[in-house]
Amino acid sequence: MEDWVLDTVIGIILAVITLITLYPFYYIVLITFNAGTDTITGGMYLWPRQFTLGNYIYFFEDPKWLDAFGISVARTIAGTFLGVLFTCMVAYGLSKNDLKFRNIYFILVIVAMYFSGGLVAYYVVLRSIGLINTFGVYVIPGMLNLFFLLIALTFFREIPEEMAESARIDGAGELRIFYRLILPVSKPLLATMCLFVGSGQWNSWLDSAYFVHKEELRTLTYRMMEVINQAMVPATNSAAIATLSSKSTVTPLSVQATAMVISIVPILGVYPFLQKYFVSGMMLGSVKG
Amino acid sequence: MLYLLVFSYVPMFGIIIAFKNYKITTGIEGMFTSSWAGLTHFRAIISDYNFPNLVRNTLVLSILKVIFSYPVPILFAIILNEVRNAFVKRFVQTVSYLPHFISWVVVTGIAYAFFSTGYGMFNDLMMSLGLLSNPWNVLTDPDSFWGLAVMTAIWKEAGWWTIIFLAALTSIDPSLYEAAEIDGASRIKRILYITLPGLKSAAIVVMILSIGNMLGGGLVGSNFEQAMLLGNKLNSDTSQIIQTYAFNIGLVQGRFSFAMAIDLVQSVISVMLIFTSNYIARRFSGVGLY
Repeated sequence: MEDWVLDTVIGIILAVITLITLYPFYYIVLITFNAGTDTITGGMYLWPRQFTLGNYIYFFEDPKWLDAFGISVARTIAGTFLGVLFTCMVAYGLSKNDLKFRNIYFILVIVAMYFSGGLVAYYVVLRSIGLINTFGVYVIPGMLNLFFLLIALTFFREIPEEMAESARIDGAGELRIFYRLILPVSKPLLATMCLFVGSGQWNSWLDSAYFVHKEELRTLTYRMMEVINQAMVPATNSAAIATLSSKSTVTPLSVQATAMVISIVPILGVYPFLQKYFVSGMMLGSVKG
Repeated sequence: MLYLLVFSYVPMFGIIIAFKNYKITTGIEGMFTSSWAGLTHFRAIISDYNFPNLVRNTLVLSILKVIFSYPVPILFAIILNEVRNAFVKRFVQTVSYLPHFISWVVVTGIAYAFFSTGYGMFNDLMMSLGLLSNPWNVLTDPDSFWGLAVMTAIWKEAGWWTIIFLAALTSIDPSLYEAAEIDGASRIKRILYITLPGLKSAAIVVMILSIGNMLGGGLVGSNFEQAMLLGNKLNSDTSQIIQTYAFNIGLVQGRFSFAMAIDLVQSVISVMLIFTSNYIARRFSGVGLY
């Protein structure tokens, strides 16, 4: 009897949690399939009132949104590939006991993890090395991820040294050992890193907003933020709600919702499958600090 | 050896990059290029008319987040642990941390779509249910910013932190539950005396992390992102925090040294918080991060 009550209560709580989590996403999807001019009249909860694909068509025809989408894709691919590769290389180097000054490097990594210079100092550095207003600002500063450096370090230490040793005897160079031996056995680690570095890249907005002033380098997240900022200031509110052209039903807000859905889809497609990897990675990281 | 050549050179390069930021705040770059300012900038911070307000917002937001976001993942983990259907458990958990992977920009966009007075469903619903007589603009009302910030942060991150607690629960020996059941302990009792104690060390570690990152927003973090994205001119009385102020002063107004001084104060306080909370936790429970 008691069990039955408890199970019911748990069931209700879980249903509410699931609803609270999923409904906002559903609501956004709803907006994207409804005519923008109709959405702003409010009162739509469950299904589109004036079904249209216009928002999606508009998104893929407008160079402003499409370019931003392209930049986002490019930075995510480049940033993830370089970031994961570079971090792994550094971690592999640091995992070797016979590395000279290893302890010093290690202390440097730890201190850098706890101390940050703050955004302003960061900006000054970026400017002085000429990264401001370039595509590089999206990719280069994030190449060494200290958090994953420590995780990768722990992971590489678990790989038996004999494996590398036997390859060395067979005449393989260090780089060859790294690419042909170490990376292939590190797939769970690489999967986790790719997911996190990738979603970090895909979601990042600050660098595009403040470190880049060229319109053609803006990312998708920046474009979405732009609409939010416009809509929040009442003076320009009417401008934000007005349709984008006289014949269309598309409004800036409905395109923005479309952009949001488009930006969620890749994440939604990837993360459930990597679940088993990142759960263990998360534990490792939290214990290490 | 080729090995040393390749792998000691590469880390060195990486560490130089990582460290450039850090060195500049402590004034090493300023040493070469500019004259000494002494404590001028620090005095300027204290006499800045915005300062008391900024400190208040930063502290209130941080403390609210630490207090409210901390118990949620623990409770959620306990509830999930009681679910017997493996598929339901996995499904709900997977759904619950989906928002973790979504950008703050998107979360803000969603919040906007929900709370906008023009077409958002929140006001629609509240008014048709008769709970509100006039549209309440949650997004620009200074009184609602803290609540909005804490709730959206919990919505986004609570499911994620549940992972840690659930993992801690899997290490509890199932025979404990069986033994308790045979002895006649009810499910509530089993939760109280087996599940909760099993969470203790994970809870302490997460508490340390949470307090260590208090100024960033505790567990759920994101003080900065929220203040930048959810904050606007109308609610800046409660949404402007130390970090965003430093950011605006530095990057928008170009007063770099002043902004750096603000940043430095904040990072020193943060580091002190991490070490203190770790020390206290170790002292009282023997569990620490290092």
